[in-house]
Amino acid sequence: MTSLSTTSEMLDCDDVMHRLWEYLDGELSPDRMTAMRRHLELCRNCHPHEAYERAFLDAVSRARREHPDLPGLRGRVLERLRDAGFAAR
Amino acid sequence: MTRETANPPDHDRAFMLDALPWLRDVSRYALSLARNTHDAEDLLQETFLRAYRAWHTFEHGSDCRAWLFRICRNEFLRTRDRSAQFVDVDEPVLEMLAAVRTRSTGTRSPEEVLSSIDLPAAVEHALQLLPQIFREVILLVDLHDHSYHSASDILGVAIGTVRSRLFRGRRLLRESLLAFARDAGIVYAGAE
Repeated sequence: MTSLSTTSEMLDCDDVMHRLWEYLDGELSPDRMTAMRRHLELCRNCHPHEAYERAFLDAVSRARREHPDLPGLRGRVLERLRDAGFAAR
Repeated sequence: MTRETANPPDHDRAFMLDALPWLRDVSRYALSLARNTHDAEDLLQETFLRAYRAWHTFEHGSDCRAWLFRICRNEFLRTRDRSAQFVDVDEPVLEMLAAVRTRSTGTRSPEEVLSSIDLPAAVEHALQLLPQIFREVILLVDLHDHSYHSASDILGVAIGTVRSRLFRGRRLLRESLLAFARDAGIVYAGAE
């Protein structure tokens, strides 16, 4: 048994639920990411939770794209910086 | 306006190449913090002015985006005198509030509920309801794509604190979104 499969064997549903957000954020070690993915692919109990949490995080991140850019901003920032001595072009 | 003493050309060129490309990202963060375009622009201009004046302290090769976000946050706190909100929080109470389970949403799946509501408005509304210590870490990680490490650097707290606040904040945010859906009639009233 490889170390990966050993890690995978050690993950039960409680472990997976406890680490689910870290997994979806890509914040776990490569071995743990692999073990989580394998568990979630096979576990009928955990898979719906993953789908829901993924939908939730996608929903939150989509709100970011609604923030409008401020028109002409770069020019106004550069003008302020030039008043402070900034000279690069 | 009187111009300040000029810096060497390499200094300004490095600032232009390393710092200015993040202007759009920082402007969106400033807008997230200030919540209106006028204050956001003032905050952004002050952020870049302070960054320019402190450029000699920036450690080249480190995360310039995180450095600018940290300056922006500090400037926001300084000008709004909101730092008290960061220390007067009863964390055990907040933890209890956040320790909620995902609730039933009636006959519709949570994914369907989330796709049925006006998400930008709902998320914005829900974020405003969050205590500041949770809101700011969600802004950094979920809306501005910072890693836990980068967020800990910006906020000046341990990664474990980022993780804890993020997860508690997300639980509260999730509940708020479902409450928003309930109020909009999307979730059946007796679903819980």
